[in-house]
Amino acid sequence: MKPALHAALALLLVALQAALLRFVGGGAFTLCLPVVLVVHLAITAELVDGTVAAAAVGYVLDVASGGTKGLLTSLAVSAFLAVRIIRVGFEVRGWAPFAALCALAAFGLSAGGVALDRSVAPPDLRPSWALLPRVLLAAILTGLLSPLLRWGLRRLDAALGEQPSELAG
Amino acid sequence: MLSLLRRYREQLLVAVLLLFPLAVFFANAKKPNQLSRVDRAVLSLTAPLEKAIGAVVVGALDAWHGYVALRGAHQRAAALRKENQALELRVQELKHEATENDRLRRLLGLAEAAPARAYTGARVIGIRAEPSGLQLITLDKGSDEGLSRGMPVITAEGVVGRVHSTGGGSADVLLAIDRNSSIAVRVERTRARANVRGLGHPGLARLDYAVRSEDVIEGDLLVTSGTDAVFPAGLPVGRVTRLQRAAHGLFLEGSVIPSVDPTRVEEVLVITSGARERALAPAAQAPGAVP
Repeated sequence: MKPALHAALALLLVALQAALLRFVGGGAFTLCLPVVLVVHLAITAELVDGTVAAAAVGYVLDVASGGTKGLLTSLAVSAFLAVRIIRVGFEVRGWAPFAALCALAAFGLSAGGVALDRSVAPPDLRPSWALLPRVLLAAILTGLLSPLLRWGLRRLDAALGEQPSELAG
Repeated sequence: MLSLLRRYREQLLVAVLLLFPLAVFFANAKKPNQLSRVDRAVLSLTAPLEKAIGAVVVGALDAWHGYVALRGAHQRAAALRKENQALELRVQELKHEATENDRLRRLLGLAEAAPARAYTGARVIGIRAEPSGLQLITLDKGSDEGLSRGMPVITAEGVVGRVHSTGGGSADVLLAIDRNSSIAVRVERTRARANVRGLGHPGLARLDYAVRSEDVIEGDLLVTSGTDAVFPAGLPVGRVTRLQRAAHGLFLEGSVIPSVDPTRVEEVLVITSGARERALAPAAQAPGAVP
């Protein structure tokens, strides 16, 4: 799939999670659904196509989160590359490893964001490490929801006639 | 050289896509975040999607309620049981409507209490609370309804936040719990001054700049002082908790439980008037004056 389509999908997922969080939890906890797209790309896409698409997803995350621009774009590309490296060592077959990867990627993305933000923000604006349990909860919930999204993404891949570059399980 | 570039062009592209955004982040880290036209265009696409998804969820819930209410109606006994269920659901709906009416009545009361101010009522259609981003809620009203950046957003319980950015039919509100939010307050009981700063966490904020010698105790209600050129004076912000009076130092250390639980906000009022007056207020006010 093309990066523009992935950016559109990321936009849809951002809107979906913003609307759903209004009904469930009301912001008491959060999600990072677009990271599922990044993990799916890392498993199925070629290096260049996947990196460009992951950067597009990260840009959407940057705009939607309202944080400093470039942070989540860079972290989305990092997550994409990290999952590709993990994929070399472990076969991602079935929903459980995929969910674990999504949870790991979501945690890495948010915790990395907090850490990088801490490194540049003035002392009184630094995000506290006390946010980490919230980040962990969001990662676990994202991991739990990821198989459902993966099912949809695979149907979409099939509908567009795209074959995964490697066995994705 | 060219052959090297050709050979490693994929790796180079990946490196650029990884490092360029990082450089943009470090370059912009000290500057206030401004949305470009492209960013605004991308963001404006999410509001209709959020509205549509919200409508689908509400429709699905209604359909489910209707399904439960009508199921098994062809048998008398079952029909009675189902009718009972339907009535129970109706009671639940009426309770929900009564609660909503109560909230709206209190919002109306708040609006009538200060008739000089102009308000716009809005509903929450989305929540964005990424820990590494801003704590935002999206409203179903935007610049088309006269909303603009910086306008205070409140409920009958108190301060919600301020308008962060607007699209035609939607607006993002920076919640008071965001770590970039700092609100000038007074202790309602003693008029002592302080600031309330968000921590990026729902349910807790930080008490800043409360002078150690001031009379502040746990449970004190903090209200807006009106000196920050954003919020009018007298709106509840939160209650003081976990107060620590260290032996040394200028200021008290403490936390604040926000008056408004942002996880439960459904309808809000945006104060659309008085932007100019609020902007002029701090200059006109003497440092120790009580608003």
